[in-house]
Amino acid sequence: MEERGKLNGLRLLRMYGTVIAAVLIVLGFSVLSPSSFATLDNAVNISRQISFLVIIALGATLVMAVGEFDLSVGAMASFGGVFSAKLAVQGLPLGAAFLIPVGVAFIIGLINGWIVTQFRVLSFITTMAMGTILGGFTFWFTGGTTIFEHIPVGFRYVGQTEWVGIPILSFLMIMLTLIFWFVMVHTAFGRQLYALGGNEAASRIAGIKVGTNKNLAFAICAALAALAGILMASRLGSAHPTGGNGLFLPAYAAAFLGMTSFKEGVPNIWGTFVGAAIIGILANGLTILEVPTFMQDVITGVIVISAVILQKIGRR
Amino acid sequence: MSLLKVSELDKRFGKNYILSGVSLSIESGEIHALVGENGAGKSTFIKIMTGVYQPEGGEIFWQGEKVVLKSPRDARDLGISVIHQDRHLVPYFTGLENLYLGANYPKRKFWPGIRWGIMREEAERLKAQLGIEVPLEKQAQDMSPTERTLLEILRAVRVGSKLLFLDEPTASLTDQETETLFRLLLHLKSQGTAIIYVTHRLDEIFRLAERITVLRNGQRVGTMFKDEVNKDTLIQLMAGRELVASGPPKAQKVNDQPLVLEVKGLQTVDKRVKHADISVRKGEILGVYGLAGAGRTELLEAIYGIRPKCAGEIKLNGKALSRPSPVSSLREGVVLVPEDRRGQALIMDMSIRENITLPVLRHYTVGGVIAHSQERREAKDFISKLKIKTESQEQSVQVLSGGNQQKVVFAKALISRPGLFLCDEPTQGVDVMTRSEIHRLLRDQAEQGRSVVYVSSDLEEVLEVAHRLVIMQDGETIAELSAEGLTQEAVLQHCYHRRKESESLIGGER
Repeated sequence: MEERGKLNGLRLLRMYGTVIAAVLIVLGFSVLSPSSFATLDNAVNISRQISFLVIIALGATLVMAVGEFDLSVGAMASFGGVFSAKLAVQGLPLGAAFLIPVGVAFIIGLINGWIVTQFRVLSFITTMAMGTILGGFTFWFTGGTTIFEHIPVGFRYVGQTEWVGIPILSFLMIMLTLIFWFVMVHTAFGRQLYALGGNEAASRIAGIKVGTNKNLAFAICAALAALAGILMASRLGSAHPTGGNGLFLPAYAAAFLGMTSFKEGVPNIWGTFVGAAIIGILANGLTILEVPTFMQDVITGVIVISAVILQKIGRR
Repeated sequence: MSLLKVSELDKRFGKNYILSGVSLSIESGEIHALVGENGAGKSTFIKIMTGVYQPEGGEIFWQGEKVVLKSPRDARDLGISVIHQDRHLVPYFTGLENLYLGANYPKRKFWPGIRWGIMREEAERLKAQLGIEVPLEKQAQDMSPTERTLLEILRAVRVGSKLLFLDEPTASLTDQETETLFRLLLHLKSQGTAIIYVTHRLDEIFRLAERITVLRNGQRVGTMFKDEVNKDTLIQLMAGRELVASGPPKAQKVNDQPLVLEVKGLQTVDKRVKHADISVRKGEILGVYGLAGAGRTELLEAIYGIRPKCAGEIKLNGKALSRPSPVSSLREGVVLVPEDRRGQALIMDMSIRENITLPVLRHYTVGGVIAHSQERREAKDFISKLKIKTESQEQSVQVLSGGNQQKVVFAKALISRPGLFLCDEPTQGVDVMTRSEIHRLLRDQAEQGRSVVYVSSDLEEVLEVAHRLVIMQDGETIAELSAEGLTQEAVLQHCYHRRKESESLIGGER
């Protein structure tokens, strides 16, 4: 009996190790900088800062769940931001300026998926090339410069407004996280995505439509990436042709960190959320402690590698 | 002194003996044939002799000295090579590069660049010496099966192999190519190389070998000179004791039942199935037997719709299916129980529940949302019905034993309440208990009016389970026999004699 209790303890530690790490990081920063870090304002601030990252990482999680990668998410975010800002400048209604790029991204995602599933090209290569193509278009649209003139004031509403003291961005992030948690855990679609990632041949034999499901995962991922880019542009009131590129690596870092928690070795929504939170909290806390940016990158990288190694050791 | 002598070789996996007490000796310059039914232990023997498996007991003597083969490298260093088309070739390397794979490349003393010129010359010399033509500038993936086989032999000769294993080398060769290969083998033999030749093609054996060793159920039944035996006695030795089909209860007559599945002239795009005719009646278990590579798995896959067909007709309950797919098959009540449990049947990192309910998820979903309580209830039903041993349905299937995993596969098949089961080696790697449980389950299903196509390479098992038996060979269905009173020997006679017909036909041309 005692043996079993011990095993369960270990298992719990493994499942929630990343969460515990997040708590420890928060406690550490709170001790080091009680006056600036451990405040409600800063917590709200962090939630806003990580919202883009969480949204883009949710999509990455879906694609990882089917056992593929989408390396174009960063370029897609830049593309979405620039596209949306351009439409807003042209005087389109704001709803259209937000939704058209998301719809276009969805279609581009479908194309990604179609190339991968139809021609059996590695998703790695397909999406890398698609990212390059998108980057090219983005520069074409902008001439390589930031779009900030003539952006209507309303374009900034979503990115800069707070409701009852909480940014709309944070609301959106929480809502999308809840939606995708529900999709992955409680719908047949989510189950099928996991099945595909677990064993594609067996899934096909079990009557799952491989192409359709994978294509949808790619499409949703692309749409979320574009949305993240649009929100970012709305937040900044401007759109830079490489503005979203920096989200790409942290998004996958968050998803990989997430794979170490809750469902071991499987991409999962809450794990990704915690992973993104850790990355965001580190960036925020280290900035407050005036650690130079390059050191922040080093620390984030080391943490991701350690978490993944620890999980591998734990599984043995 | 023998080149190779093995005595009392034992190999077991778990409690099952794959080889027990096998003794054998091979002389230099001898071609020695190794024959036996599927699962007789031939492959295991080769794997031990090439250092892939470690035997549990027995001794190996090489040129009179006792040796232990701990790794494939040890075997190669002694001079033992296996020739197996393309398994040991890098597909995108050229013939020359493959020829020197893993060898020390010729280099200058102070310059690390490889001296391709020298390699090319040496290769040409070798080819001339053996009198064979292999296009060494071609990539291995572009070579024909013979070219690949010849390349491997060339490589074995280059490293000075004294003993070659050939495992079904003529399986995909044309007759002319076979002749080329035979000439080369006889040449090697005259140079003093020993060859162990594994095949199902008995005619080849009588042409090539001096001595023949028969394995059955992991034991050596006998070794004899070719003049001492003929084909029939060999078949008898391979089949062993007289076993008469016990079969399902004979009282059950299915001949007046309607046809559930009718397949006519089926051919797959990749030609693994060339011409298959089968039919299954309601409540019938049809056994499909054939030697390795006969196209049994591929036939099931074509019917189920995961291997594209290019000709022929598949009729299900009288309705022709033009392009079957897993989705349509499941809808029509057909399930496939694949041979490869880990690769095709189960999703290893999912739970028992998730695996069982995967094909029927939409039964519990309303607007895409899963009704978990209903799902859990059904999973629980099937877990207890099939006696799957587990603490909880949330257990990952990874940790289950082979037998329990296979039960999960069957639960997954049963849950869609199919009318036709396509079972491919359904008792492979499961314990005796589970095996008989699976047999009983399928018989129950048949009695309830469902139909089963049962593919197995274990002849005893097929005779035990099936009402009727279809024999496949080289992608074709060659015979259909009623299982009643059928003996193992009679089935093997079909398998081997048909081959004689086709071979003697070609012999007549020459």
